[in-house]
Amino acid sequence: MPHILVVDDDREIRDLLARFLERHRLRVTAVRDGREARRAWANGHYHLVVLDLMLPGESGLDLARWMRGQSNVPIVMLTAMGEETDRIIGLELGADDYVPKPFNPRELLARIRAVLRRAGDAPEQRTDPAARTLVFSGWTLEPARRRLLNPEGAEVALTGGEYDLLLALVERANRVLTRDMLLDLLRGRQAGPFDRAIDVAVSRLRRKLEDDGRHAQLIKTVRGGGYVLAATVDRR
Amino acid sequence: MRLPLWPRSLAARTAAVLLIGLAVVQATGLTIHALDRIELQRLAQARDVAARVMSVYRNVVNVDAAQRAAVLAEMHRLPGMQVDLSQDPPISDLPDTPRPEQRLVRVNMNVIPMPGPLRPHEVHMFGGPYWGRMIVGLHLPEGDWLNVTVRVDPPRPWHSPTFLWAFVLMTAAAALLTLWAVRRMTAPVATLAKAAEALGRDVNAPPLPEDGPSEVATAAAAFNTMAARIRRFVQDRTEMLTAIGHDLRTPITRLKLRAEFMEDDEQRRKMLIDLEELEAMVSATLAFGRDAKSTEPVSPLDLPELLRTILDEATDAWPEVTEKVAYEGPSHLTVRARPLSLKRALANLVANAVNYGGSARMRLTLPANGTLVIEVEDDGPGIAPQELDRVFEPFHRGEPSRNRETGGVGLGLPIARNIFRAHGGDVTLANRPTGGLRATVTLPA
Repeated sequence: MPHILVVDDDREIRDLLARFLERHRLRVTAVRDGREARRAWANGHYHLVVLDLMLPGESGLDLARWMRGQSNVPIVMLTAMGEETDRIIGLELGADDYVPKPFNPRELLARIRAVLRRAGDAPEQRTDPAARTLVFSGWTLEPARRRLLNPEGAEVALTGGEYDLLLALVERANRVLTRDMLLDLLRGRQAGPFDRAIDVAVSRLRRKLEDDGRHAQLIKTVRGGGYVLAATVDRR
Repeated sequence: MRLPLWPRSLAARTAAVLLIGLAVVQATGLTIHALDRIELQRLAQARDVAARVMSVYRNVVNVDAAQRAAVLAEMHRLPGMQVDLSQDPPISDLPDTPRPEQRLVRVNMNVIPMPGPLRPHEVHMFGGPYWGRMIVGLHLPEGDWLNVTVRVDPPRPWHSPTFLWAFVLMTAAAALLTLWAVRRMTAPVATLAKAAEALGRDVNAPPLPEDGPSEVATAAAAFNTMAARIRRFVQDRTEMLTAIGHDLRTPITRLKLRAEFMEDDEQRRKMLIDLEELEAMVSATLAFGRDAKSTEPVSPLDLPELLRTILDEATDAWPEVTEKVAYEGPSHLTVRARPLSLKRALANLVANAVNYGGSARMRLTLPANGTLVIEVEDDGPGIAPQELDRVFEPFHRGEPSRNRETGGVGLGLPIARNIFRAHGGDVTLANRPTGGLRATVTLPA
């Protein structure tokens, strides 16, 4: 059972979140600030840290930096809603994902699962979120800013689900991603049937990547259910 | 009272007053000058007539009566003069010379030295400058009459054509100078008006330069002080809102977590919907506060792709309108903008179209005038004409009936307008003739 360290200064949120995650078969240790987090860090091994950016005393950013110095445990940041600078700084510092407060618990759970799954991959497959860019077929994906640039350098808008899907495909370029893996990514994000949502997201991504749906060259459909990104990815 | 031709602008009015004044002064000056010249010519003419008539008279009176005819014959050659010797005083169809003229001529005749007995016993005068000639009859001491007709020119107030030209040129120069000066003096008023307009669009508009003439500098300083106060006021209000929004995030997070522990699925679903709505309101409030100090950098983005993504997200959120959402326009177009702000602004328009109009059609066009136009149309009932502009006021919430089911704090459109204006564009609403509402966004291409 994966062990999660939750760092949040609000006692109610901390306790409720711990109970919620435990109900979904995760082991949780919840602490209130940087000092307690360091103590807990010393006494246990964690698979993932959920870290509130706004903490009393030592800031979440400093704590994240310290944790990154200790190990490459995945970090999911809880940021102030819509504060882009917080998000960018957090991701550049090495958080694996961020969830704005007030978060939807199910979405947070989906993100935690997705990050855990990615962390399970071989280390060289993981993208260090601090890595600025992933370049494939002229397209540039910037994880730190969660954006896609076309070959002319103009930003191509992506929905949150499309971004997650594309990042997963690019990180595992030339490897088949099963529908189950992709479903995990979209769960919690979208209403409606997930199966359909994946097909819709892939067809939109193909349109955005100017990849002809009938003879897709970039995102190929794999017989038996799954997709693969056929491209060389250059990490810069 | 409104005069039909009275100009509306301050510059034109000032110029008109000054030019009318200039015209009056010039006309008066010209009249005085003309009257003066006429008077001078009258005096000179009287002296001239008197001298010429008396010189003929002296020649005639000094010779014997028998030789006078011969003398006269000689005189016929004098230019502009006709002299007759007659038994009778002159008879003429011309009226008597006006008395002031007569007196002038007589005075001038009297100053010519001549022994008293030889002087004419009586003098008759007809005509004058007005008629072009003058007939002077002089009664010789012997009883005969010497009748002299002298050509006199009518008075000419304009002695030379160059004078008139010079006068016209001078007047024109003065008029041009007046127009230039008026334009210069009234320019600060236009600047002030422009600054007030800019302040209405954006409270962070740059201050006016406080220079120029002292009155203008004072007005500019007062305006800047007022702008600073308004800015402070808006900032205070926005900061208060932002603070409330920040503080609400923790309780909303708690409630969302608590909802997950509710046993009743239906109640939990409804509670989560309520919380989403509450969160959307807080999010709008925070967005409104943030836009006041937009720090997002400008970067290139593919606009049609952004529009289609917004529509995709709308169909994800409201699957029932999937068939009623459409994009029309070029497939790719790179523009420079603040991606997240622009997306928020356009998403607000699309959300309104879907919520109030049940559909959202976006059209991107590029008229040739350096702007691009994005239209968002719906098939809803539209809004009352008097509301078309008011809905852009922060916290204005249209008809209460519309808001009960959709919620919202009345910030979607103000946020959108702030963002478009910060991009150098704007957004307006209009009811379509065929029904439904159309939001028209303009942005610099």
